[in-house]
Amino acid sequence: MEEQRIGVYVCWCGSNIAKMVDVEAVAEEIGRKPNVVISKNYKYMCSDPGQDLIVKDIKDHNLDRVVVAACSPRIHELTFRKALQNAGLNPYFFEMANIREQDSWVHEDRDAATRKAVDLISAAVRRIQFHEALDKRTVTIDPATLVLGGGIAGLSAALEIADAGKKVFLVERSGKLGGRAAELDLTFPYLNSARQMMAPILQRVQNHPDIDVFLDSHVDETFGYVGNFECTVVGKDGKETGLKFGNTVVATGLKTYDPSPMENYGYGKLPNVVTSVEFEKMLLDGKIETKDGKVPGNVAIIHCVGSRNKDIHEYCSRTCCVTALKYANQVCSALPETNVYELYMDMRAFGKGCEEMYARSSRRNIMFLMFDKEGLPTVTKAPAGDTCEMVVEIDEKLSGETVEVPADLVVLMVAAEAQENARDVAHAVGVSMCGNDFFIERHPKLDPVATTTDGVYIAGGCQGPKDIPDSIAQARAAASRILATIAQGEVNVEVTTAVVNEDLCCGCQTCISVCPYTAVSYDEEKNVSTVNEVLCKGCGTCGSTCPTGAIRSRHFTDQQILSQIEGLLSKEVA
Amino acid sequence: MSETFEPKIVAFLCNWCSYTGADLAGTSRMKYAHNVRVIRVMCSGRVEPTFVIKALREGADGVLICGCHPGDCHYHEGNYKCLRRYHLLQKYLEQMGIPADRLRLEWVSASEGKQFADIVNDMTEQVRELGPAGIKPVMDRLAV
Repeated sequence: MEEQRIGVYVCWCGSNIAKMVDVEAVAEEIGRKPNVVISKNYKYMCSDPGQDLIVKDIKDHNLDRVVVAACSPRIHELTFRKALQNAGLNPYFFEMANIREQDSWVHEDRDAATRKAVDLISAAVRRIQFHEALDKRTVTIDPATLVLGGGIAGLSAALEIADAGKKVFLVERSGKLGGRAAELDLTFPYLNSARQMMAPILQRVQNHPDIDVFLDSHVDETFGYVGNFECTVVGKDGKETGLKFGNTVVATGLKTYDPSPMENYGYGKLPNVVTSVEFEKMLLDGKIETKDGKVPGNVAIIHCVGSRNKDIHEYCSRTCCVTALKYANQVCSALPETNVYELYMDMRAFGKGCEEMYARSSRRNIMFLMFDKEGLPTVTKAPAGDTCEMVVEIDEKLSGETVEVPADLVVLMVAAEAQENARDVAHAVGVSMCGNDFFIERHPKLDPVATTTDGVYIAGGCQGPKDIPDSIAQARAAASRILATIAQGEVNVEVTTAVVNEDLCCGCQTCISVCPYTAVSYDEEKNVSTVNEVLCKGCGTCGSTCPTGAIRSRHFTDQQILSQIEGLLSKEVA
Repeated sequence: MSETFEPKIVAFLCNWCSYTGADLAGTSRMKYAHNVRVIRVMCSGRVEPTFVIKALREGADGVLICGCHPGDCHYHEGNYKCLRRYHLLQKYLEQMGIPADRLRLEWVSASEGKQFADIVNDMTEQVRELGPAGIKPVMDRLAV
């Protein structure tokens, strides 16, 4: 191998690394390694002066490879790759050693952490000798967008994109647009009509020249990659439409929990125990009444049915507390003679105007009773001769007493949960799910609408329970991200793909059987496998399956990883 | 009394879940045994049996592979491929006279920093009890 000129930079990260790792000693020891031309330590490598240092050294010392030992590559790998590029080096002649998140921050023995840093950097120095230049690849962006789900999030995203003059395909699995928001009577906290809010939105979407709406339709699978996706939309009558698009917004919403398994509430057994969804329908129809058509003298509203429950859903469903307040207010206004009881665990009236609504509600004729997570209320049929139909027994937390609440109508504030076909949708578009089957955003704080699949964004209830303004905000954020890529016209794609050495390939096709993207195909004439680099996402599974070593996973080659292992273990841990 | 044996453990972590989970342990300032050295791969499906054998041959006393939980693989099913290989590899190790416990496969999601720290501590103790693998000196003597 020709002589290489490696520059190594050990970052202090202020005291974050320097406190637990002897950065000077590390830099000195690494400086003695073969091919390492310079080895320096510096306070903040990611700062402008830190990057300038690298750029200057590349030029002054004719470096051809750079190792930075600092934070996680997930944070600053791109920063330093850009610095290399600025100095005229191919950005893949770079390797990072993670001596902060996976060393200085997790150990308490300075000597051990310092030795570990040396090992990690030694591994990077060995590895980088086998790095090769990889060329940036860009693909053009198809300006059309696929929006899955015709609820408030999907509608908002579709309008935002179409209003910018870009084509939108809106696919809704049910027979009508509007989703959950269209099933509401009034919205909290200002008790405005949901129908009045939705009507102009629906009308605009239906009449928009740049939005094609597909009702009673679904998409089983999408193919392709950012900027160039394809799918087939299947309609109710089996009619298939092929679509091409550059980006996807997944806005498939959520559903509500069926409380039948919770025996303490008697849902399904006691006729006048209803879910919040059923009660909303009553409000929409303008009839608050029992099954036999009587005006209920007592209405009990029970919170957290299926939410904040370790056996069902541990999370808070976010919208039910204020919805319950809305119900109480609506019953008070419609039926002034009726007693209203709110049985709650904690009143979570967060968000603009919601705490104020709670304060207003507590001045009305509503009785608030608190219960504990460990002792849920029970609903039973009232003994014969009672004036009410049911009795709700609650261990009231604030008074410490067991209270029997009379009820003629019990409303269960059921949890929000992921759609039953969430897994299918996740597979169809290539997004990941968290433990609760909601879709995972790329970063929980910094990137809440993108996913780990480029070109696929999530918005609304499919990402987690949320109210209308939050769903719309997320949908419009996703739309603006998409419009930005459309404006760019092209996007960089994965260059760390797999490649077949045809001389070594024996044509066994094992790689084809393991590829999740059908990126590998068989060339019958040559009796070898070939990789479609546009479809390949660089997981490397084919590379580790190939029996002859014919497949190379670029940037994660056998040689690179094996030499990294050698470097890691080149020294005793002691 | 002799010095405590400090095992060397090489860990292969997938980029999307487990490496991020290990980073989270750091961001959360959780403390764990310093014996583990991480190599990042894009997917646990990339972990070739050769890598594991190579690590043992070069002096590792244990090898840890971490991937996304079943169903959560960023590449759909690379972790299942890894799982299949893992079972075969354990058998192979046993046949070679290497306790299968020296190799461990665990699922660690991006939010499971605590789990990663616990796994590292647990495995360090486990391998410490097994004692040095002693493969490297033999191989060096055989010069292969």
